[in-house]
Formats: sequence, structure tokens, C-alpha cells
Amino acid sequence: MSKVDLRITPSRSVLPASQEPQLLYALIELSAQSGATKMPRLPLNLCLVIDRSSSMRGERLQQVKQAAMQILDLLGDHESFALVTFNDRAEVVVPAQLARARAEIKRQISAIEAAGGTEMATGLALGVQELQRAMMPRAIHRLLLLTDGRTYGDEGRCVEIARRAQARGIGITALGIGSEWNEDLLETIAARENSRTHYITSAAEITKIFTAEVERMHNIFAQDVQLRVTLPPQGLLRSLDRVRPYIGSLPIIEEADFAWTAALGDWPESDAQALLMEIVVPPLPVGRHTMLRLQLRYRVPGSEGTTANHEQSLVVGVRNPDEVASEVDPTVKHWLERLVAYRLQASAWQAAEEGKLEEATRRLQMAGTRLFEAGEIELARTVQEEATRLLRSGQASAEGRKRIKYGTRGLIGREEQS
Amino acid sequence: MVTCSHCQAQQLDGTIFCTVCGASLLSAKPQRQTTASLNRAAAETAQAEVDEATILPAPTPAPETNTIALIVLSSGRRIVLPVTPELLIGRKDQQRNFFPDVDLSLDGGYDAGVSRQHARIICRDGSYLLEDLGSSNGTFLNRQRIAPRRPVELHHGDEIQLGMLLVRFEMNG
Repeated sequence: MSKVDLRITPSRSVLPASQEPQLLYALIELSAQSGATKMPRLPLNLCLVIDRSSSMRGERLQQVKQAAMQILDLLGDHESFALVTFNDRAEVVVPAQLARARAEIKRQISAIEAAGGTEMATGLALGVQELQRAMMPRAIHRLLLLTDGRTYGDEGRCVEIARRAQARGIGITALGIGSEWNEDLLETIAARENSRTHYITSAAEITKIFTAEVERMHNIFAQDVQLRVTLPPQGLLRSLDRVRPYIGSLPIIEEADFAWTAALGDWPESDAQALLMEIVVPPLPVGRHTMLRLQLRYRVPGSEGTTANHEQSLVVGVRNPDEVASEVDPTVKHWLERLVAYRLQASAWQAAEEGKLEEATRRLQMAGTRLFEAGEIELARTVQEEATRLLRSGQASAEGRKRIKYGTRGLIGREEQS
Repeated sequence: MVTCSHCQAQQLDGTIFCTVCGASLLSAKPQRQTTASLNRAAAETAQAEVDEATILPAPTPAPETNTIALIVLSSGRRIVLPVTPELLIGRKDQQRNFFPDVDLSLDGGYDAGVSRQHARIICRDGSYLLEDLGSSNGTFLNRQRIAPRRPVELHHGDEIQLGMLLVRFEMNG
């Protein structure tokens, strides 16, 4: 049985007594320690949905084929594999089947050629169909989508297909390569807790990222992870964001008075997870107070409906203001700084779209400052360059924009450091 | 409540970064007055050369002495300046031995398109004028581009944009 470690670090461990509400940040770090006994892993039901439009010709497609074959070798005999390609139309290249006739499957993969345009929706639909055909009741269902171009006119359908699949427990990893693909679409497709996006900056990374994703799916040790946050009366949970392994906002629902829940999705053991919350603390008298109670609840894979629970609380002292130092925890500040940079760049693109170029530039510049201070020097430079470009030409470059969007979230190329 | 020194938004006590503009509220109290502290990263890359020439020491504030200040919005750096007839704003160039009164090179001035001799602030009869010195990327006053070599009057709180770098002008005293 795995053990879960829940650690809460507040931005300040002692608060000044105040008549006014004040803000407290808390970093929640979740880590899993599988004991000596390895969890029985759930079989994977995998479908690759690959863009084979003409722009994929050459190294990109070559790398994709190689990656597909390597993935096949990672799968066990009881796992299912399928491969769908799309250009102007979609085609099932490898129908869903147990990963057994490997030589034959590899032959089919190697025959894929690049040609034509990009029409994603049909490809997605066929991919979902193949996953459902595999009929594996207890498995991790995953669709890996890779594209390098824009799909025109069927974006709405893509999102609909993705939502239907996600509601049935099919997670989607949406991978974009190059600078032409539509990041808004991919992000919308992956905007569910069991899905994610990734930006692949060069063809050479394809194999690494594909196989890393399959390995993550192979060591999921907790499914449907739910977090419940209870605050003292009149307290308010202002926001909850994931900051590790990558940054992204988590929708919260106020389920009862001063109690919120959030769905965190499936949890691969290799991912160190960290969340950052903003808590509005009500005026409290001098003394020690339980500021936060966390309950983590998840399904244990492969067991019949067994759930596991973990609890942790945070106690904070409230003292006379002149006894309280104004220091903040550096780790909390670091992750908050990265989160603020991510939020600033997101609002910058929105401002740019509304034609508010100076506002957008200002936000990008501030994002750059935050990144500098957080030690993300290279990314800060990219942000500065795009801010200059935006102000001078009214437009950011497609590549810079992607680098910033995915870089601030921690979703570029390099795998998450553990 | 605390007030963000950058955008004046009201924020809850304990806020680390302003939710409106993203500026740090921690550094709000001790105002930074030297280039060295403004952004460590930029300073590290520029390395070695500590440029003391660029920031004029803040005058000991006698109550009746006027001072003006430029606040670089992206870094929060506050540059307090003595009142002199003319203050040159630009980017230092060590090879040409050129040092403006206000050096914006460590504020990302190069990337932001600040020229070496970008603009100047002229003090005349207690009022202040801003003049663009034919900079490559222009000088903007409250978002309006000003014509080169045509001084325009400055007021407390005005927003000056040099190329792409935003600076706020403040008068004290």
C-alpha cells in the first residue's frame, strides 16, 4: 500500500491580530511513497491520434513513428494499442488490439506517410471509437493527440468529442509541435483534470515525451483524487491552483459552509504535486487557530471501489502585530511568483486580443520581472522580447507566444523535475 | 488593507503580489534606490561593472528642497533625482564612455528599445519639461507620442514611456 505525504506550508506561520481580513497563502505538497510493495498496475488502453498532414513530412513523422513503436514495446501483452491518423480525412491504421502482434503493428506504423491538410475532429472521433472498442472495464484509457497545424472549422466538434470522451473516463494528452498549431484549441481540449497539454519544441523530443507520458500512465496509484478544504468560520478560499508538476487553475466548489472541494484527477506516482491556495483569513483573536483542514480522498486502482483518505491540518498562531515579523516563506513565494507570472501572461494575451497593446505589454513586462526574480532567466528574456515585438508590431510571434504560455506553466519539452 | 505602490490598487494585508498588476508588495516599504538591487538577474548578466555613475545619490531631504523621482514600472525601481537644469535619460555605453544621468540599461532598457540618448528632463522656473532627443523608438507622455526636440510640460504622476519602458514621473516637496 502506498503512503501519501501531505505537507502544508503557509506564507506566514504567525499572523498579526487584525480587525481586517488578511490574506494567507498555503502551499500544499503531495508526495507518494510506494513502500516495498509495488502497486499492481492497471492495464493501459491507449490510442495515438497522429496528424499526418504534409507539414509533418520528414523528421517529425519519422520521430512519431519511432515513438509509436517504442510505446508499443513498453506495453504489456494485456494492454491495448490503437493508432489513428488524420489529414483531410481520418483513418484507423492500427485497430484497437492487445499489444501482441507487434511485428505486424510496427509494419503498419512504418507505412504511414505525410500528405494533405489538417482536420482534427474526425481523427479524434475515430480515436475515441477505438478506445471504446477495446472494452477494458478496468484500465487507464488514454488518447495521445499530436498535431502541428491548425484545424479549420471543426474546432467546436473537437471540443465536444473531447468532453464526451473525458466524461467517460478517457484522458487526453494533447501535444503540439512546431509553431503553427492552435494552442487555445489544444488547451480547451485538455482542460479537464484527467487531461493535459504539452508543447514539443523540436522533433527530437517526440519519442522522449511520448514514452514519458506512457510511463506516467503506467504508474497511476490514485484515481479520482478529491481534495476537500475546510476553513474557520468566515474564512474564504479565494483560489486554488496547481503549481507542480505544471501550473494550472483548479476549479473549486463551495460544497458546504466554509468547505470547498476540488477534483485533481488521476495521480501518477512519479509526479510530485503541489497546489497553492489563497485564503482570506477572518479577524481572529490572539492565540492558536486551526486555519485549514485538508482531506484527500481517492480510489485505489484495481481494487473494487476501495477508497483511501488522508487528513492534515494547519495551525497558525495569531499574535500582537508588533511581535510579528513580516517575512514570508521563500518556497511559497517562489511558487507564487511563478503562478503570478503565468496569470499575467494569460491576461496579457487577452488584452492583446482586445487590442489593448500597451496593457498587454505592461503585463508581459511584469511577467518578465516575476520570472527574473523566480530565477527563470531564459524565459524572462523571451517574455521581454515578445513584449517588445508586441508593442512595435502589434503582434507577438506564434512561437514566442507558445514558449511563454507553456514555459510559464512548466509545460515545455523538459520533463518535470521530481 | 495595503496599497500597491505600482498601480494603487487596494489589497488585503498579507498579499505578496498585487492581484491587479502583479507587482511585489513586499518591496513596497523599503524603496529601492540603487540599480544593483533592482533585478538581480539582469545585474548578474551585465556582470562585474558596478555602475555607480548612473544613479545620483538622493539628496538629504531638507523639507524645502524639491526632488523629482522616476519610478520604473516593470522593476519598481525608484530613481530619486536632484533638481538640476537638465537630466539626461538613456542607456550607458561604456565603450564610448557615455553615461547618462539616468541609466536604464539594467531595467531592460536595451530590450525595451531605450536609446543611449533618449530624452531629457529640463527644469525651468520650477516646472519640468520632457524632451525627446530624436530617440529611435520614441518617447510617449501619457500614451501620446511626443515630437522630437519639442519639450512638453511634465506633471506629477505623468506616465513616460521610453521606447517600450514605462516610467512614472513624481514630484515631491
